[in-house]
Amino acid sequence: MKVDQTKPLEYSTEQNNLNILGFWMFLGAEIMLFATLFASYFTLEGWTGSGPSGSEIFEITPVIFETFILLTSSFTIGLGVHAMRLMNKKATITFFSITLLLGLAFVGFEVVEFFTYIEEGAALQTSAFTSILLSTLGTHGAHVTFGLFWGLFILIQIKKRGLTPETANKSFIFSLYWHFLDVVWIFIFSFVYLKGMM
Amino acid sequence: MKELFPRKQVMGFVFSLVLTIVALLVYFLDMSFAVGMTVLLLTAFTQAGLQLIVFMHAGESEDKGTIYLNIYYGVIIALLTVFGTLLAMIWGYV
Repeated sequence: MKVDQTKPLEYSTEQNNLNILGFWMFLGAEIMLFATLFASYFTLEGWTGSGPSGSEIFEITPVIFETFILLTSSFTIGLGVHAMRLMNKKATITFFSITLLLGLAFVGFEVVEFFTYIEEGAALQTSAFTSILLSTLGTHGAHVTFGLFWGLFILIQIKKRGLTPETANKSFIFSLYWHFLDVVWIFIFSFVYLKGMM
Repeated sequence: MKELFPRKQVMGFVFSLVLTIVALLVYFLDMSFAVGMTVLLLTAFTQAGLQLIVFMHAGESEDKGTIYLNIYYGVIIALLTVFGTLLAMIWGYV
């Protein structure tokens, strides 16, 4: 395996470059996946049947918390990748751990939010609106939850094996995933919550 | 310690917080739907671009051209899906 010393570790081998490019392709497909969810959401948001509408169940406070938590976690994972490029293993582990804890807090807020919706009579099967709302939020939330486990396993690998071309590559790809989820959340925040409460 | 907080990323974070606060004004101030949607579209897409360039390092690798082409393709399909659906399912009937 040829290792190019002039490049950051995550780009240092041909295989690493291909892995990163391949992951960008995957993110392209993910953009389209979320686009279909948004398209269905905008189509069905008015079909509330006998259930509540968005403006009746959305609450601004948890949404603000969720947004700032996810934005901050996107920043800390960016710092983690930067620390990785400085070959500072300890700082990399610290920043990745903070990111995962913030991710956990986000999922916590979302779980509470879902329980509140169900208590208020907005379950998955209540109306076309609640179905697509919970499907859209749930798809994003499931991505974040999956990311928590993925990130945790990478963290363990960095701890055990140190910063190698392989672990750096995996961490960088994970950071792409995490930033992407933040971007999706920005669109949910703007066009589901804020638009619904306007 | 200081080298762990690069200026570019700290500024990017501050800017993303500002964009979020501007978006929140849509809720806290009284705005017409059209003005509110314009603000949200501007802040959301700026925020997405910011993440892509500052945090995802989209322009750094040798495959920059392919990566951008792939993202543009994904975004174009996304916009066609969303606005095409709106046209066919909602706007076409008003």
